[in-house]
Amino acid sequence: MKRLRGLLKNWEVILLLLLASEFIIFTLANPKFLNPVSILSSITNYIGICIIALFVTFVMITGGIDIQAPSIIGLTSITIGVLWSDAGFNIWVAVIAAIVLSALCGALSGFFVAYCDVQPMVVTLGGSFLYSGLALLISSMSKTPAYQGISKFPMKTEAGEFVSFRFLGKGTIFGFLPMPVFIYIVLILICWFLLHKTKYGRQIFLIGVNKQAAEYSGIHTKVITMSTYILTAIGASIAGILLTSNVDSAKYDLGSTFTLSIITAVVMGGTLSTGGKGSIFGTALASLIICILRYGLPLCFGVSTQNLDLPVGAMLLAVVVGRAIMGRGLLSKYFKRNLGNKSQ
Amino acid sequence: MKNIFNSLKSIRWISGLLFLIAMILITGMANPDFLSYKNIISCFNASVVFTLLAIGISFVIMTGEIDVSIGATMGLTASIAGMIAQQDGSPVKMLLIAVVVGIAVGAANGVGVAYFGVPSLILTLGTNGIVRGLVYIVSDGKTVENYAGTFTNYGEKVAAFGITYYYAVVIAVVLITHFLLTRTAKGRHFIAVGDNNLGAELVGISVFKTKMLAYMLSGIFAAIAGVAFASKYGQVNIVAGAGYEMSAIAACVLGGISLSGGLGNTIGAAIGAVIMSSVSRMLVFIGLSSNFNNTITGVLLITIVVVDALTQKNSIEKARRKRLLQRTAHSAGSMPEPEKGGE
Repeated sequence: MKRLRGLLKNWEVILLLLLASEFIIFTLANPKFLNPVSILSSITNYIGICIIALFVTFVMITGGIDIQAPSIIGLTSITIGVLWSDAGFNIWVAVIAAIVLSALCGALSGFFVAYCDVQPMVVTLGGSFLYSGLALLISSMSKTPAYQGISKFPMKTEAGEFVSFRFLGKGTIFGFLPMPVFIYIVLILICWFLLHKTKYGRQIFLIGVNKQAAEYSGIHTKVITMSTYILTAIGASIAGILLTSNVDSAKYDLGSTFTLSIITAVVMGGTLSTGGKGSIFGTALASLIICILRYGLPLCFGVSTQNLDLPVGAMLLAVVVGRAIMGRGLLSKYFKRNLGNKSQ
Repeated sequence: MKNIFNSLKSIRWISGLLFLIAMILITGMANPDFLSYKNIISCFNASVVFTLLAIGISFVIMTGEIDVSIGATMGLTASIAGMIAQQDGSPVKMLLIAVVVGIAVGAANGVGVAYFGVPSLILTLGTNGIVRGLVYIVSDGKTVENYAGTFTNYGEKVAAFGITYYYAVVIAVVLITHFLLTRTAKGRHFIAVGDNNLGAELVGISVFKTKMLAYMLSGIFAAIAGVAFASKYGQVNIVAGAGYEMSAIAACVLGGISLSGGLGNTIGAAIGAVIMSSVSRMLVFIGLSSNFNNTITGVLLITIVVVDALTQKNSIEKARRKRLLQRTAHSAGSMPEPEKGGE
């Protein structure tokens, strides 16, 4: 019993239970729900949210926030499209150029946050305007009209197989696992290792807990803070590549509606928005919960796909308010116990 | 010391104003046609919706919190107003409903942030999603258009000097809120709470009530902005107002309101809103495509906040150095005295 209660205090366990209950409820409502292929493809649809949320976790643990990442998805997408289709570059050169460009964008914002002490929210707000604006400007250099999107990326063979660039977004591995989901799993492992098993990860946590103490203990807080923004930009860039490859369309406004879902995933995953606490598995689980909710509600309960903000918002509210109440209860119990001990 | 701070505070929105004037002059240099009274005043007239949103959220930002649910609130009241307009209902009814909706959303945000202590960005993200969902339910997923009466004509009516009735009302609101914020005790509570909420609590200001009021005001202003939006554009789709919250926050920042709270005023917010809404208009006159809109807004925003942060850092450093110098000068001057007394 004690063990059970201990487990329930672990946020990741609660998330796991939430995910399991989602599966049970949706399956009971509509047995068609339990189709692995469509579940995996629903994750592929929201892969941008899942991947970026992983990296925003890093930023949020340092006490910052990054709302510019969705605009970098669009920037990556259109850069690849224009370099490949209009400038005639090799597709992989275009991909690498797009990643480098995104990293530079992240470095610029990170620089302002870390070295000029501007609030992260403002810098990344400005960044989201700037980079989405850049994406629009780049798209106006293309021969293809901006609203249409650049398509016909290489390559779908005669037999209907996806190879080369399209393999990233449409291909499957081991015969069933979509490539984006595979990449996502690899990224989860990399991020988990980076955040929870390396010195770099510990330094990120310390910056979030107490920046001054971190600075005094010889950590280059500025470099590390900046690096988290670069990482997020690269993550967004990867998401942009996968999305472009998946839908076969390079558009400047790809992913522009993701901001709220990303923050929702990170916060629901147990990351403190004031910094110092968070976990990669928590974020990954919360992203999955959101994906499944967005896939299951229209299928099983006939909720319109246009109206998925409401359940996601309600869930976010329930989680944060519930945690606030629970935190209070635990806190008052803690005080009572301690005071009781003292009086004895 | 007080003087330095006062001048710093006033500089905060003056820099926004200078920015706006510089933008107008640059546009005028590129295309002299722009520099007519009519064109410049139309920049102001076009900023009605942004200004209302920015004034509302500035209360919340001053208390050191944030409210990203205003875009959805605005969308909700815009579609309600549009549906009333389809049956040629009275604007008074729209405004009443809008105020009720605004208070309801604001109260929900206020309770979550001020009572439960949930981080404001996250809580208002949640309410944003829920209110956006309500927009969908209210309008049944359809775009609200084809108003029956003369609702869309109000926006164009000119009161005096080329200023529309809408903007005249907005100017009055800006002046009133500015007066209330800077000249009344209750108004200064917002700044006090944002500057140091524990200190404010200790001197007897209720942080809970102040934040609650800030969120309600933010909701009411956003709701009224929604009615203005419906009247101005004549059609409201289910994503109306999405992203406007970010523009309103940007407007506040451009107008010199610090996102960490405790600094700024509503005149700054109004100037920032004019900057935000007139960039695209000016681009037309310069001859650049409106594609540059976001890029220029982003550059403006980042430049102004980085310059602001650096000057602030610099002034803090200067003040510290001055203090240290004074201390050393003082101790150097006073050191010999006790010796003399000893002799």
